[in-house]
Amino acid sequence: MIDINLSNSKGRDAVVQALNVHAPKRIRWIDADGRQAQTVHVLKATVELEADALAAKAGGLPQVAALLVAGDPELDIERIGSFLPSLTRVYIDPDKKLVHRVRQVDVVKDVQGVERERRPRKQPMPNVGGDQPPLRWTGKLIPRAEAIRRYVFSTTMQIAHVNGLTYDFLFGMAKELEDKDSLLRLGAGPKGNQRLVMRRGGIPYYGFLEGRTRGETYCLALHLSNLELKKAPDAPDPDAEGKA
Amino acid sequence: MAKPLVLVHDGTEIPLQLEKVDRTKLYGWVETEVHDDKGRRCDMAQLTDDGRTIVPRGGRAIAYLSAQGMWCDKSSLAPVDAEGAPIVPVVSSYAAPIPLATPATVDDVLAHDIRLAYRVAPDAGAEALAAAVRGGAIWTFPYSFRGGLEADQAFLLEGADGHVFLLVGRPCAFEYVGLRAPVWADEGEDLTDDDDLDFGMI
Repeated sequence: MIDINLSNSKGRDAVVQALNVHAPKRIRWIDADGRQAQTVHVLKATVELEADALAAKAGGLPQVAALLVAGDPELDIERIGSFLPSLTRVYIDPDKKLVHRVRQVDVVKDVQGVERERRPRKQPMPNVGGDQPPLRWTGKLIPRAEAIRRYVFSTTMQIAHVNGLTYDFLFGMAKELEDKDSLLRLGAGPKGNQRLVMRRGGIPYYGFLEGRTRGETYCLALHLSNLELKKAPDAPDPDAEGKA
Repeated sequence: MAKPLVLVHDGTEIPLQLEKVDRTKLYGWVETEVHDDKGRRCDMAQLTDDGRTIVPRGGRAIAYLSAQGMWCDKSSLAPVDAEGAPIVPVVSSYAAPIPLATPATVDDVLAHDIRLAYRVAPDAGAEALAAAVRGGAIWTFPYSFRGGLEADQAFLLEGADGHVFLLVGRPCAFEYVGLRAPVWADEGEDLTDDDDLDFGMI
């Protein structure tokens, strides 16, 4: 659940709540007596026991083969199979040692996989929260039937009120969109022309607001998309290029 | 050529090849390279809580423990849902032809998070496929690529560019909310009430 700053068609804004409404089906595993089993993460390998680390240590893969015949150099019976209650993501260098300072570079590639640009990595910062300019009601409406044929909506968040005032505010927005049978494109940033970033380093998405009402209740959904529903351009024919 | 997904519409079998709609093919992509002080490429790994054991990619496995905390073989376990009802595994959607029998609405599509999108190209029966989605018709059916515990929901529809697409998604848990709806709690918030400890559990 995150806070989201939203404006309506009259330019009024309010901070409300947004919740991811993906509902994974919960699967449990039970034994023959109907008792529930639990899953645990266990250690299967460490970097010192990988094939290339063993080869570097032994002087080559043939020597590792000889070690494998003679014993179990790839096993550490003290550690392998132990539970892994918590893990921390780290970077390791080619020598398999922990790295404490890194430099991150974004390599931009085109659809053919050709490198176009290298630049220092920039983490997108969230731009939808209560301390950010409100998401702008751009007025750009797209009929619902057209929207599902134009964009792939991969994530949906439900917007809800936090008090009586914001209930009226959001119910009005839902009703307005329902009457227009359209989704509204939302824009972030001071000019309302940026894509929506929910959390630091998150994927920037185009946001589309959908409203439905039933009696005194409403459902205001924020559909997120970073992909158009269209055919990819055909790859250039290398033979044709050669002829040209 | 890959085995086709076969749909049946008005008695005509339509074998389809699926081409994934992929961001990399539409817009290109960005790879993040990580370098150390010496400019060498670094890999991501995981550090265990002993502070010294480094787990490489693929160095972690999932194991199953019985109610008594003993190792158990997954083949001795059965999957059930949250209410304890057995889950019947689904077969691959490629195992048999799928009849287009259930129409869907725009609301149905918008009530799913779409995790895969494919452009479909018929090996045969192109006219039958065009007829199936004519006039904005949308068809839905359960879809599973290789079979498993549960199927996703697929929607067959015509895209704005005139091509036919198959969207594969999972339902969202929308709900209508009214003035008296409870305010959602922050997931990180500790809702334990210290005055309400159940000592009977100890």
